[in-house]
Amino acid sequence: MSGAGRLLDRLERASDLLSPIVVKEVRQIVRGREFVSAFGATLVAGLAIAFFSAADAVSGSGTAGRWAFGALMSCLAVLGLAIVPLGAFNALRIERLEQTLELITLTALTPRRVVIGKLLAQAVKLVTLFAAMAPFIAMSFLLGGIDFLTILLLLAILFIGSLWMSSAALFLSSLLKSRAMVGLAFAGGILVLFFVFGVGRGLMFYLSRGVFTLGPVFGIGFTDPWWALAALTTFCLATMVNLVLLAENRLALAAPNRVTPLRVGFLVQFLLIVAWALSFIKTPATVRPEAVMMLGVLGGLHLALVAMFAVTEDLVVARPPVGSRRRLLGPFYPGGGRGALYVLAQMAILMGAAWLLEPEPVLMRWLLAICGYICFFTGVPTIAVRALRPEGTASLRLRVAIFVLLPVSLLLPDILYYVLWRPEAMDLSYAARHLFNPIRTLANWPLVESVEWSTVPFALGVLGVLAYLGLSHLGRQVTVEMVSTAPQAARAEAGDPGSAGALY
Amino acid sequence: MSDAMLRLDGLVRHFDDVHAVDGVSFSVDRGKVLGFIGPNGAGKTTTMRILATLDTPQGGDARIGGYSVVDQPEKVRRITGFMPDYAGVYANTTVAEYLDFFARAHDLRGGDRRTAVENIIEFMGIGDLRDRLVESLSKGLKQRVALGRAIVHDPGLLILDEPAANLDPRARIEFRTLVRELAADGKTILLSSHILSELSEMCDTVAVIEHGKILATGTVQEILKGLRPRRILSVRLAGPHGGLERFLLEQPGVVSVHEAGGRVQFELDGGDEEQVSLVGGLVAAGFPVLEFSAHDAGLEDLFIEITGGRAQ
Repeated sequence: MSGAGRLLDRLERASDLLSPIVVKEVRQIVRGREFVSAFGATLVAGLAIAFFSAADAVSGSGTAGRWAFGALMSCLAVLGLAIVPLGAFNALRIERLEQTLELITLTALTPRRVVIGKLLAQAVKLVTLFAAMAPFIAMSFLLGGIDFLTILLLLAILFIGSLWMSSAALFLSSLLKSRAMVGLAFAGGILVLFFVFGVGRGLMFYLSRGVFTLGPVFGIGFTDPWWALAALTTFCLATMVNLVLLAENRLALAAPNRVTPLRVGFLVQFLLIVAWALSFIKTPATVRPEAVMMLGVLGGLHLALVAMFAVTEDLVVARPPVGSRRRLLGPFYPGGGRGALYVLAQMAILMGAAWLLEPEPVLMRWLLAICGYICFFTGVPTIAVRALRPEGTASLRLRVAIFVLLPVSLLLPDILYYVLWRPEAMDLSYAARHLFNPIRTLANWPLVESVEWSTVPFALGVLGVLAYLGLSHLGRQVTVEMVSTAPQAARAEAGDPGSAGALY
Repeated sequence: MSDAMLRLDGLVRHFDDVHAVDGVSFSVDRGKVLGFIGPNGAGKTTTMRILATLDTPQGGDARIGGYSVVDQPEKVRRITGFMPDYAGVYANTTVAEYLDFFARAHDLRGGDRRTAVENIIEFMGIGDLRDRLVESLSKGLKQRVALGRAIVHDPGLLILDEPAANLDPRARIEFRTLVRELAADGKTILLSSHILSELSEMCDTVAVIEHGKILATGTVQEILKGLRPRRILSVRLAGPHGGLERFLLEQPGVVSVHEAGGRVQFELDGGDEEQVSLVGGLVAAGFPVLEFSAHDAGLEDLFIEITGGRAQ
């Protein structure tokens, strides 16, 4: 055997260490037209940028490197934030359309390994594309005007961002199958891209000045770029793990419990938000309220999303947990109204963390109002429907109902006001009719407190918490009845395979 | 004690109000081939998907090699190969790479993986196609590769859903040969097909399903014997049939005499002895018997008999 043959043989043996999905995907990618075109275009763009920056360098300004690097980053951003995530989206979509995913499901590969494999394959593709640009990036550094640390940081951020986008694309792909939905997703994706480009420009601006600001809205910033990168990376990794778990949840067959890993993942994500807020505990008292506000916004958004899915889950599931596991990890298991307890526990953590930051009482009440609105909007409709038909209503319908209820609460008070009272002038200022509108109420909280309207949000919150406790009680009752009367009935409620929402 | 590789026990799967599978029970012994027949929408594919662990039953269970498809799906997958009614091929992938991927996916590593892929390529007779892209193959060849994929991990049970659909006659013959070879190799095979003549040549036993319920199981002859206790016989004379019908009706056990296609067909309620005596009687009575034959009932007769001839 020749030297090359021996090397290939050794590489082939080493490939046993890799995920089968990575091996397959990389084989497909390198033969695909999309990759060849992207690689070729990257080289052409790199050459063109190198030519123009060299011409610019001749003028002797000494800053040609900055322009060259900016242009190269733009090319890489298109590849990393559009081409690569699109590849990830298509990789899973085609697998589902051609039904090859079913064939993979019949092997030893779990849906999680499939999703992770596809993500890693996109990482390999990205690294290859980055490698194609490496000589030009090195040239931009040599031309001057940009330091090595900035180059390294921006490449790392782009790499992480691209992987994050790819995992989001994989999750989207696990949700959508019809062409219409795919079209909608792409339209949304383009909007996101515009946003990302805007953020990217901001990042460039801050990084070029050695300051990285994570929360420009709140005025909270990091002056140490490494700390900023670490925080960003941690958050991206946590959300990426959850996106992978969500995609797995969508792709898994009906039998296994796919909820517990998701709940653990989302709790970790929430704890990271809390930990980030608590990192301001030793900062001056003037900074801490901003950290509490940031905690309220990020934690509130997180809890609202989690509550939407956890609280509306089916009360009856295929395999209720039994024994000591149930007592220890109860809220992490699906069914039986445990989702409500899971959300309530996180709300308690949120309030506890905020209390440690010693904010003004008004801020604590603001946080309570956030939790109250979440409980009210997710808990009250759910308990109303579940009390009437504990086993009958699919979670999906409930989630859609809540999703509709929120915009209705935002718009209806104003619509009714203008229809019934017919005011002469359009009055957009905050008024009592907006108390059912959580966004406007929370945004105008100081006003709400000053005119003593806060009783309404708190009353709604109490109703919401009661609804959560009621759900938990109802869930326990239904589970006990189900286990004692008909063990087979649980399986009969299993729903369609692959429709995670219907099961858990 | 029976040596059942596959045992279904009251399998139930409903889609809203449609009872796709409604208490299906049967078993297949090791090394046997069972043909699964029924009209469209009878529940064949749903049953097969449950057995392949792609779907979960709402009632009952099935055991493959002793493992439950409900409680031990991972173990079932290790000993089961499933070939659905679609090819399931990848773009930009050669035949060897396709098989290699599935071997890896079944956790075959190093030498085991390479040997498994080589064995499959040799067994399937696709050595000259190994570097061809799978998507560029003809339907028949794709079907071969798909069968190779299903058996790359050497499963004990093979589930083939409409494997011969859309194949030309030559490809069908080749496919039939492969299935027989696999059965001879000791694999238990459950296959459904619309082409009943194909099935009768491949299967040891059949199971007939309609509206999600099993109507009959056993060998074709056993089932037909249960359905039709009488033999269907026919006589062709060298001359006109005058008096033959009357003569036959006078014989003990003969019923339903009628002329069809230049011969007289009738049913005989009896065994070999009665048949021999009837032939002797015909000759003794001076009828110029040119042909005396028993109707060899096949799978199509069985299917029509059981389902009332509804569309397959």
